Amino acid sequence: MEGKELTESFESLVLSIVPRLRRFASGLARDGADGDDLCQMTIERALVRRDQWQDGTRLDSWMYRIMRNIWIDETRARSRRSETFVDEEAGIAVGVRGEQEVAVEIGNVDRAMASLPAEQREAVLLVMVEGYSYKEAAEIIGCPVGTLNSRLVRGRDALLFLLGEMP
Amino acid sequence: MTITPERLAAFADGELPEDEMRRIEALVAADSGLARQVAAHRELRHRLSAHFEPILKAPLPDHLAVLLARPDLQVVDLARARQRRDSRRGMPRWTWFAAPALAASLVLTLMLPTHDKREIPQVDGHTYAAGPLADALNEQLSAIQPASAQTRILLSFKDSAGAYCRAFSGKEQAGIACRDENGWQLRKLIGGAQVEGGDYRQAGSEDAALMMLAQDMAPEGALDAGQEQAAKARGWQ
Repeated sequence: MEGKELTESFESLVLSIVPRLRRFASGLARDGADGDDLCQMTIERALVRRDQWQDGTRLDSWMYRIMRNIWIDETRARSRRSETFVDEEAGIAVGVRGEQEVAVEIGNVDRAMASLPAEQREAVLLVMVEGYSYKEAAEIIGCPVGTLNSRLVRGRDALLFLLGEMP
Repeated sequence: MTITPERLAAFADGELPEDEMRRIEALVAADSGLARQVAAHRELRHRLSAHFEPILKAPLPDHLAVLLARPDLQVVDLARARQRRDSRRGMPRWTWFAAPALAASLVLTLMLPTHDKREIPQVDGHTYAAGPLADALNEQLSAIQPASAQTRILLSFKDSAGAYCRAFSGKEQAGIACRDENGWQLRKLIGGAQVEGGDYRQAGSEDAALMMLAQDMAPEGALDAGQEQAAKARGWQ
């Protein structure tokens, strides 16, 4: 019955992580519905590859890594299909429009996040929303801690500017 | 001395070694410009986490909720997922609790243990548990059962007619059996938990599906350990 116990705990562990996965997915995909599709694919892949998860290591980090990889693959596939990666709408044209209009737009956290380059956005999401340490976030992304740190700073400087919180 | 933006952000996040944290803390305390930047970093973190907070508490959408109780897993690409989503539009939205209806579609044909040559009793076209499964249904209490048990009792409950029912999960089959005057009638069966090498695949999702089926059949919920023991003492009648 040992195998059974393991399987059960794996599924319930996954279930307990799903709300956080949804949060990360909605930030990555910049759209709640796309985020849920991303989340679904992540769960499916995790279940299929459960043997690759090493017991005793953090399941959440493993699943975030899966999600991030799927997202990158999807993004590449999508740009290969010549679809527009960033909706024009989602971009922010600071300074192009009148002051008031800009002020309304830059008050929106979603739009500000959406305007970040992908590598900065994921760094910001992992550390500032998901609460990972720099080291953990760098491991999920697969980059050195210094790289994570500088992406994070560029991302949050942009956000501080866009959200009008520049000190 | 100047502090790089990276250092200052790392300080705001508490990511520096202790001695460096102390050093920068002193610098920040003496420089209102730095202090404002640190405050802005922390405020930003607060604002972002507050912004994404609601999704944590939102109910899971049906297709994610059901996912962990569904054996026919398929990895698809996002384009197909989107098509699926589009095709779902216009259909009534399922809720988490409507999942048993879906789970019911998972109930497959009766899978019998291949090594068990005994006749499975049939009465009036109903199938009854026999052999070790019947023993487990009669004897095992869900709160106290050996880890090595061939069949595990997931929970016991009373159905709407007042009959005692028990959800069980074993190597070859899992299901729900309810007690009547002939024995344990197999009401629901989900089969094929065993895969090559004696390992389990998707067994957890079968259990989850069973739990949902049971939930659907049990107006009063599951029996607690004491109620289960009392029911056993009465011979499940």
